[in-house]
Amino acid sequence: MKKLDKRLLGLIKHTKGQFIAIAVVVAVGLMIYMSMSSAAINLQDTLDDYYQLTNFADIFVQVVKIPEKDIPQLLSKYDFLDIEDRIVLDAPMITEDENERATIRIVSITDEDRINSLYYVKGNPIRDKDHDVVLVEQFARARGIDVGDSIKFQLNGRQYKMNVRGIAASPEYIYLIENEQNMLPDESKFGVVFVSKEFAQQSSGLIGSGNEVVIRLKDGQDHSVVEKDIEKGFEKYGLKRIIRRENQLSNRMISEELTQLRNASGSVPILFLCIAGTVLIMMISRMVKKDRASIGVLKALGYKSSQIIVHYTKYALSAGFLGVLAGTILGALIAGGMTKIYIDFFNIPILKINFYMIYVAWSVLFTGIFCGFSGIFGAKGILKIMPAESMRPEAPKSGKRIWLENIKFLWRRLSFSWKLIIKNALRNKKRMAFVLFGVILTCSLMVATLNLVNSTISIFDEHFSEFQKMDYNINFNTPLNKNVTKEISHIADIEHIEPKIEFPFEMRFGLRKKIVNIIGINRDTRFYDFRNLQGDKTYVSVKGLLITENLAKEMGASKGDTIRLHSFIPDRKDIYIQVADIITQGLGMNAYMEIDHMADSLLDEQLVTGVYLDSKDSELVSKLISADHISTIQSTQDMMDVFQEFMGLTIMSIGIIVVMAGILGFSIVYNATIVSLGEREMEFSSMRVLGFTKNEIFSVVLRENMIITIAGIILGIPFGHVMGRALGNMYSNEIYTLKITGSLKTDILACIFTLIFIALSQLATFRKITKLNFLMALKNRIS
Amino acid sequence: MNTVLRVQNLSKHYEMGEITVRALEDASFDLYEGEFIVILGPSGSGKSTLLNIIGGMDTPSSGKVYLRDEEITDFNEKRLTEYRRNKVGFVFQFYNIMANLTARENVELATEICKTPLDIDRIMEDVGLSERKNHFPSQLSGGEQQRVAIARAVAKNPEILLCDEPTGALDYTTGVTILSLLRKVNKEFNMTVVVITHNAAIADMADRVIKMRSGQIIDIKTNQKPIDPERIEW
Repeated sequence: MKKLDKRLLGLIKHTKGQFIAIAVVVAVGLMIYMSMSSAAINLQDTLDDYYQLTNFADIFVQVVKIPEKDIPQLLSKYDFLDIEDRIVLDAPMITEDENERATIRIVSITDEDRINSLYYVKGNPIRDKDHDVVLVEQFARARGIDVGDSIKFQLNGRQYKMNVRGIAASPEYIYLIENEQNMLPDESKFGVVFVSKEFAQQSSGLIGSGNEVVIRLKDGQDHSVVEKDIEKGFEKYGLKRIIRRENQLSNRMISEELTQLRNASGSVPILFLCIAGTVLIMMISRMVKKDRASIGVLKALGYKSSQIIVHYTKYALSAGFLGVLAGTILGALIAGGMTKIYIDFFNIPILKINFYMIYVAWSVLFTGIFCGFSGIFGAKGILKIMPAESMRPEAPKSGKRIWLENIKFLWRRLSFSWKLIIKNALRNKKRMAFVLFGVILTCSLMVATLNLVNSTISIFDEHFSEFQKMDYNINFNTPLNKNVTKEISHIADIEHIEPKIEFPFEMRFGLRKKIVNIIGINRDTRFYDFRNLQGDKTYVSVKGLLITENLAKEMGASKGDTIRLHSFIPDRKDIYIQVADIITQGLGMNAYMEIDHMADSLLDEQLVTGVYLDSKDSELVSKLISADHISTIQSTQDMMDVFQEFMGLTIMSIGIIVVMAGILGFSIVYNATIVSLGEREMEFSSMRVLGFTKNEIFSVVLRENMIITIAGIILGIPFGHVMGRALGNMYSNEIYTLKITGSLKTDILACIFTLIFIALSQLATFRKITKLNFLMALKNRIS
Repeated sequence: MNTVLRVQNLSKHYEMGEITVRALEDASFDLYEGEFIVILGPSGSGKSTLLNIIGGMDTPSSGKVYLRDEEITDFNEKRLTEYRRNKVGFVFQFYNIMANLTARENVELATEICKTPLDIDRIMEDVGLSERKNHFPSQLSGGEQQRVAIARAVAKNPEILLCDEPTGALDYTTGVTILSLLRKVNKEFNMTVVVITHNAAIADMADRVIKMRSGQIIDIKTNQKPIDPERIEW
């Protein structure tokens, strides 16, 4: 081993704490990179294989009614790869607990089961077409239903008891949610029941017809051209909605998760590597300064500057590659587990886990570049060291008055020790800036993360307690006369009831178009509290539409703009309507209208599609289930309960971010403090000789760091709010809008977390001061 | 004369690999109040080890050191710190003053923590720095920096001033002025001053000279007529 390399080992041993801290930062960054990138690609591959295996549809078309005899013609007319009609209906499930609300979606399947074919995990396909069903896996698992059990539901006023013949996973319900309003899966309250087409047609009254079409396209078929063709060609079937695969709810949720995973796997490691690089630059430049005399000796012996720079760069690279080793191994281990968690969460029955060497190669390359550059940049001071000069004691650094001294009235009031502390804190601007950066980063990450949690909680809280206040949201399986409201009032003990119309329309504005549910409600509704962007109360009126903020953004529409509404009901002309106001809404993307105005202009008069109601009747659900035409009963309380469960997962992932932020903050502050201690060894030794105790010296350093910490926290909080808002925008989508608002509580909590991590790094400082050999420091002026 | 410090059979041995280094061997002597002592010896003679032990910065392998009636070799870490804080002052070859504090603030750093500090402005005047007391070390010459170090040590009003090669890093002229200053401090404050040096010429200004070689005291000599520092030549 070359002697310089031996010296390198000594250097690493001597600075092992800092060396490990840097390696940990690199390792955490690469672990995230490796695990998230691998998980993303594993998940994508698994998903692609699963979709391929199950022949997942490219396009879903919802219609009022389509005769099955027309299907072969459509196949040849549009040259699709495959097409199937089916019936999809929502119905209330009948459970042993009469007051329990559970909705099931009845989906018809054929013997061929060609498109969206089921992946059987248990049991067999349907044999007895009138009595057998196949249950979606998540629902069966959540409710403890097994093959051979029976389930009951109510459809068109009739009760059905069916045998569960099989349990299967469906590519359409990887993420089992009912609709956009119910973002979180509640697997025991919403399930999918696959029935024979014959049964579905008989029980729904759609004999010889379907109400939905699923299509597979040929390779190279342009989706948007096909969509336009369907718009025209399916109008006669009462076209309601065309959903492309990318917009299919379950697929969209998983795609969004994949996008976030890919984004995070790209950006987070860069942040960690940048920080490791900056720590290395600072550390090596200080090391070179400290080793001035040794470097002078090496130069005097005939070593070239480049050889010595390489020597110090090797230090940076060693720390980096130790990080690569740990990070990639841990990352690869975590990737498998992480993919499995995702696949379980999304209920994909097949699993494909591979180890991707390419990510190891990228890790080595990235780390080599970052650490190599940091090493060279940090060691560039070597070029300036002259051998003869380096062996003489260094001239004292130039001292300067600090700006605070000019504020005489304040400066005079400070005790000497505080003057000393403030001067020291402000003495080395680069070091102070670095520690300050560390504290700002830690604090802002904590603030942003906690605000994100807060906002996620408040989305649900505000949506279900402030924005919409009904106890139950009831949907009919077919539009009914408004008088049904009165009938329902008589069925159960109801405090308040209001009719509603909820119907999908295609909204067009300029070149943009979007299919959204428009909800018609009473002008004086008690169940909604609409607030415009200024926070003022607003109401539905005959003047026009209230549209949600995210919808306005998506359409590029503003208040006062006229929007074209295209109805999916056959023979309806498009109507033009003004945007009366833009409202804030945390969950979902909707438009609201005054109910009578909506009925007059968009539908048939006096028709409603459901009701909202408040009731304390303990038997409400059982009473409603037995009523005709009830399709779904959603209770707000159920939604809130699901949310509580979901929060457990969220808090865990937030915890990981908090720990990550802490590691970064700890590493920065610890390294900066240790480097500073190394530089100030002589100063502290002199203080010890003067009679300062270890605690007094620690108190000086602690107070110096506290000044920077307080400044860092003061700057970190607003920065965290900005970061939080950016994260909020990044994570918002048409399903939910994250409005990040800070609170004193989260700020205080973030401060506490930041202080804990900074305090940990200060413990290391205390240890170092305790071990300080002041005699050696005063004697040895050459390292 | 009153005895300020008593050194009894002091030894310091330490291991260096497989070899036991006998840095100090059975040293005994007394220091008297107001005395100017020079401990003279070549490199490795044990003079710095001796100074470190009597200054409460190191502990002996055997032997005892008394300050007045208190045995400092028996002190724990806390009491040694107290001892350094209130009873002794140090001056080093390389000044060791804080770069970011002015000359006056460097002295204040010491007076902040001790029980009976002297008036800083008077000390600054005595060391000849009253005009430059607001300058930073980088604005001062080597001699001036050493004056700051002396002022810092003296301002604590210690019983003994311990100086380790105080002229080692200075040119002849500046060295002589520093020695004059130490003598002045010795006379004016009746402070016991111990200077350790390898420079035999300095011995002529001492009241007593302790000569050391290979860790042992080989001679203790009283100067009948100590000469004025200005007359020393080397």
